[in-house]
Amino acid sequence: MLNLIRNEWMKLWHKKATWIMTIILVIMLIGIAGIMKWATSNMQQAEETHSWEENLAENQAMLKAELSNPNIGKAEKESLEEELALTEYRLDNNRAPLDPNSRESYVVNSHSMLSMVTLFVVIAAASIVATEFSQGTIKMLLSRPVKRWKILTSKYLTSILFALFLIVVAIVSTIIAGYLFYDSSGGSLLEYKAGSVVEISYWGRVLTLYGLQFVGVLIYTTFAFMMGSVFRSSSLAIGLSIFLLFMGPNVVFFLSRFEFTKYILFTHTDLTGYITGNMFIQGISMPFSIAVLAVYVLIFLVISYWSFIRRDVTA
Amino acid sequence: MEKQPIVELRQLSKTIGKKKIIDNLNLQLYPGQITGFLGPNGAGKTTTIRMMAGLMRPTSGEVFVEGQSVTEHFEETMSKVGVIVENPEMYKYMSGWKNLLHFARMNKSVTKERITEVVEQVGMQNRIHEKVSKYSLGMRQRLGLAQALLHRPKFLILDEPTNGLDPAGIREFRAHLRKIAIEDGVSVFVSSHLLSEIELMCDRIAVIQNGQLIDIREMNQVEEAHYYIEAQPAEQARELLTARGLSLEVSGAGFITKVEQEKIPELIHLMVEANIQVFAVQPYRKTLEDQFLEMTGGGQIAESHTK
Ligand SMILES: Nc1ncnc2c1ncn2[C@@H]1O[C@H](COP(=O)(O)OP(=O)(O)O)[C@@H](O)[C@H]1O
Ligand SMILES: [Mg+2]
Repeated sequence: MLNLIRNEWMKLWHKKATWIMTIILVIMLIGIAGIMKWATSNMQQAEETHSWEENLAENQAMLKAELSNPNIGKAEKESLEEELALTEYRLDNNRAPLDPNSRESYVVNSHSMLSMVTLFVVIAAASIVATEFSQGTIKMLLSRPVKRWKILTSKYLTSILFALFLIVVAIVSTIIAGYLFYDSSGGSLLEYKAGSVVEISYWGRVLTLYGLQFVGVLIYTTFAFMMGSVFRSSSLAIGLSIFLLFMGPNVVFFLSRFEFTKYILFTHTDLTGYITGNMFIQGISMPFSIAVLAVYVLIFLVISYWSFIRRDVTA
Repeated sequence: MEKQPIVELRQLSKTIGKKKIIDNLNLQLYPGQITGFLGPNGAGKTTTIRMMAGLMRPTSGEVFVEGQSVTEHFEETMSKVGVIVENPEMYKYMSGWKNLLHFARMNKSVTKERITEVVEQVGMQNRIHEKVSKYSLGMRQRLGLAQALLHRPKFLILDEPTNGLDPAGIREFRAHLRKIAIEDGVSVFVSSHLLSEIELMCDRIAVIQNGQLIDIREMNQVEEAHYYIEAQPAEQARELLTARGLSLEVSGAGFITKVEQEKIPELIHLMVEANIQVFAVQPYRKTLEDQFLEMTGGGQIAESHTK
């Protein structure tokens, strides 16, 4: 199996597209950071700046005013109380929040930039099986004393390895961009947990967010991999996968009021929502999402293997 | 032929959709022998070979390699088989060497030394580190042969290997196959739609048409049976030869006749004594080609060529 993965890795890096994608990723991540920095620094000159204590004190007064309104709902009241607790904790214990223009908040917020990694990994995973068919090399590959399931497994593992590689490249590029364009500032992350405020580690948060984003990347990788195995044509597989990659979340957004939406794959592909609080739909939990994703991945893999092992090779 | 066959096709059939592409094929292949697989385009040669290489599942029947079924014992059987199906498609974006390394890693026992050895065997040592996309068709065929030989297969399958080779290339290729068959006892199975390209390298020829095996013959049976005789005056020669009980068929300036090899000196002697000038007496090879055309219907070959 190790030899098979070495083979796939070798083929992957002999394709120009792989290098181009990696280089584009680095350039984009660093370039976008530069542009964003430039744009915000232009805007800020107009604004007058306050200290974080002033901002939070203002915020505290506002929250209190809202809470004194007797007409607000129960859920809203809870979330306002949570926010108030966090604000008061910061003021009482002198814990500054992350400065939005600091290196730290740039790195922690950039996890959403990983959609570019998703795009590139989808292209690679959709091609890894399909190009063997479109270039006719599949008959050379499969007339060896190696069972088909082993070959497919090596290709799947290589796709995942490539996804991991690109994530690491993305994280490193983001950190480099952070150092290039932003200054460090103190500040801490707080979380409201079981009725009390706790401080959480910065790097722990970064890793959690990127890790959860990576789960999404894996789901799309598996999906694209299945498309390549079923259609045996890289353009069709890449096209369909990218189409769904962009359409899926929008469809979920439009369907969010229906009950069945919670069984749709795309509702769950962005697990970072559970941390950042940006969820499309309510009433689902992390374990539920993970269960749904696991079922989808299993289905995708069964279809991939079935299609690859059972069907005749006529390419 | 009392030897054990190394490969055996038993009642092999393949139906795709409603079309019966391969119909009940039975064939045995022996070590050290080169068997030709002859048939017009579309006869089912590639389909048969795909089933032998484990790329397609037979609808019924089985392929056995040293007694083991290819579908049931895929890894054991395929480690004894080297194959080129249609054109050898290699990874064009990698060098020939990397391609061989890639395939070598898929067999348990192929070392770097073995790769070097095979590269020399097919005469590619000078250009093996260039990208395959820069190779000519002839070089790709050589590289294809190299990848098929890497793991020292006992059985070598080549599908239309002479496609794209010039006559010199074909001659070299033929010598190569002979050597592999004789020295290493490899059983070779070569398909072609042109008899002329494989008749000189084969010990036997199996003829397939419309998915059915219509003939299997040993080459030396046919070759010596017919002779071409050219002599002047032709009329006198004809009288003399027919008087010896031979039936003649006019062909160009001479005759074709069926006669055993040991009678030839006597015939020449008789003609010379009768003051007939003998210009040529030679074994007549075309017979097989003619028979092949007769069997498969010459017109149909031309037809399937055009599609
Ligand atoms: N995948 C397929 N689906 C349907 N028909 C096929 C397929 N592959 C081959 N055929 C048909 O099977 C016949 C034999 O094809 P093939 O084995 O390629 O012939 P050959 O190699 O002798 O030229 C042809 O008539 C061809 O059209
Ligand atoms: Mg063919």
